[in-house]
Amino acid sequence: MALKRRIPAVVVGVMAVAAIAVTAASGAVRNDPGVSATTVKIGGTFPLTGVASLYKTIPAAESAYFAYVNDHGGVNGRKIDFTVLDDGYDPSKTVPLDQQLVTSTKVFAVVGSLGTAPGLATWDYLNKNKVPQVLLSTGDSYWGFCATKVCSGSKHPYTSGWQPDYPGEGKLYGKYIAANMPNAKVGVLYQNDAFGKNYLAGLRVGLGAHKSQIVDAESYDATATSVTQQILALKAKGADTFVSFALPTQTITALVTATKVGWAPQAEFIGNVSSNRIFLLAAAANGANIDNAISTTYVASSSSQTSLPGVKLAGSIIDNYAPSLKTSFDQGDANVMYGFGVAWTFVNALQRAGKTPTRAGLMAALHSLNTSKDPFVYPGIVLKTSATDNFPIEQLQLVKWSGGKTGDWVASGKLSSGIR
Amino acid sequence: MTRGLATRLGAIAVVAGLVVLLGATMTDYHRGLGAHVAIYFIAILGLNILIGYTGQISIGHGAFMAIGGYTTALMSNYHHTNLIATLPLAAAISFVCGIAVGIPALRLSGVYLALATFALAVSVPQLPLKWSKWTGGSNGIRTHTTPTNTWIYTVSWICAGLAFVAAWLLLRGRAGRAFRSIRDSELAAASSGVSLPIYKTLAFGVSAAFAGVAGALFVLVTNGYAQPNEFGVTLSLEILIGAAVAGLGSLYGTIAGALFVGLVPQISTSVPLIGTGHGQDVVFGFIVILIMLALPNGVAGLLGRLDSRFKSAIKSHSAAS
Repeated sequence: MALKRRIPAVVVGVMAVAAIAVTAASGAVRNDPGVSATTVKIGGTFPLTGVASLYKTIPAAESAYFAYVNDHGGVNGRKIDFTVLDDGYDPSKTVPLDQQLVTSTKVFAVVGSLGTAPGLATWDYLNKNKVPQVLLSTGDSYWGFCATKVCSGSKHPYTSGWQPDYPGEGKLYGKYIAANMPNAKVGVLYQNDAFGKNYLAGLRVGLGAHKSQIVDAESYDATATSVTQQILALKAKGADTFVSFALPTQTITALVTATKVGWAPQAEFIGNVSSNRIFLLAAAANGANIDNAISTTYVASSSSQTSLPGVKLAGSIIDNYAPSLKTSFDQGDANVMYGFGVAWTFVNALQRAGKTPTRAGLMAALHSLNTSKDPFVYPGIVLKTSATDNFPIEQLQLVKWSGGKTGDWVASGKLSSGIR
Repeated sequence: MTRGLATRLGAIAVVAGLVVLLGATMTDYHRGLGAHVAIYFIAILGLNILIGYTGQISIGHGAFMAIGGYTTALMSNYHHTNLIATLPLAAAISFVCGIAVGIPALRLSGVYLALATFALAVSVPQLPLKWSKWTGGSNGIRTHTTPTNTWIYTVSWICAGLAFVAAWLLLRGRAGRAFRSIRDSELAAASSGVSLPIYKTLAFGVSAAFAGVAGALFVLVTNGYAQPNEFGVTLSLEILIGAAVAGLGSLYGTIAGALFVGLVPQISTSVPLIGTGHGQDVVFGFIVILIMLALPNGVAGLLGRLDSRFKSAIKSHSAAS
């Protein structure tokens, strides 16, 4: 009897020791997924094909910057291995691709993924699995806080955005009009969804007591290619100031149509998702008068600020790592500088995420940004976040178009801070 | 029991066994892919009833998937309906929409019907943008809970099994005979007393109901998130390609068609060089052309050929002995 009792005790003892040893051993070497002694694996989904493929220069610039960083020693001795997948802007494709990144590629973080809908389709999944979904390429307000029905009740601590949000930008235009053009009659073209409506709401907030200056607001559906009716309506209502919260295609069409129907507003405010220089040049080439265009920017211009160190650096990285981006870069494609700016922010956060980076460390680093050193953003912009503020960029520079068909954006006034 | 039936039941048992076995052993990510295969299976099955058995072409089945998908998303979001309970509802609403489309389609045939259904594929996914107040517009709408990949894998394959049995029962009986007679000759069918309006619209309705269930599951596997971009024209074309690969007019190739459209685009992303951007499309297109050249009647045609060769081999063998 006594012997029989002793044997299990011995077995239990040995097992306990073994268990402790195993736990200790694995505990000593276990990194967060995607982090090895030599690499950090990250990934992102982008529309490389399809309707939104104009944005594909963003991941190309990001890959180029990571290649440059890797050749200069990487981050804390680790190279960044960036997997770019094509979701064609279709959320049903984004979901399995993100699952592939998480469970098969085993990435440390999903970085820079583009689009509001793809982001919303995957943020529950990524947050549930504690996978950072950071520096998303979309200006919706979701990434900074939850204000709408779509994310009610759920918290997404592993999600972060990068660029200024749309309502803040709309507010800036409103304030500008109220202060500088108190007699202007404002006509707004906006996309009939959260994107356009958030912009419009921001404009109203910015106008404040001058809200009644909006004489007409016309909406269009996201897939409509013609906005002629809306432009005619704005003209008929006597608007003399045009505000466009529309995607690139519709913005270009609107500018061209306005000129064709003989509507010549004294100012044309263009939301910065559509104010990339190459879009304006396209509008001008199709006959639009763009001399009164006003917009905002938060990245350095690769066409007009060529003497900035960040633009020079971007140029040399493109020459060495992504020569295919050269043409877009020289024409001032803001998406290229955008990609560089995002990639720089990620590298900065990764450096501060611990000697052996952890996911929690990365999020902590992204929630404690406070730097003016990103060379690719507009000079003077400070990337700043806190535990309660998840919007890294809250500054915008107002810019006005100058030079007609071959012109460019020129800064107007000082950098605006605290736009939210 | 005839030898043919025994082989078929055996094949079905093998596939079912594989589904269960894989479901139990695969990684979570692969269960998600497996669910995609089941969803395409259901949609292709439905399209095959329409095109393969009744001879009515549709290149707009993504529209019915959108209707089913939004049914599930809206019911779940607004009324917290049990996700399983939304599936028959999605089938019913899609069925009604299918009938509604089938009636005007009676006057169209061939390329005209193809164009009309194509218009459907283009226009229906835009409706949520029109009524964005209820449907979330381009920001989409989500179900009140998000199913796990294990849940969606299990439910999708059970639905696929039920859909297969339903299709088999439907096609082996009176309705199936009527469908086939319409496909082979509308004139002969009508003169034998088959009501063209009834059976053509019925085929549209049933086919749409299958697509509706597939669409509902498609939303669930997309983390319960419905958004217009998910139901673009390419989805309709994928189902059509799946049906062509499977082989029209036979149910047994369906699994091959579903595996093809469910897995090839996903797998080719991890192929080096061609794995990004247009590379995937090139791979996909190349394989489609290859299959169409080598197997003009799809995988079902191949199975048929193998079967007849096997039979003649047995015949000559028994003749020799």
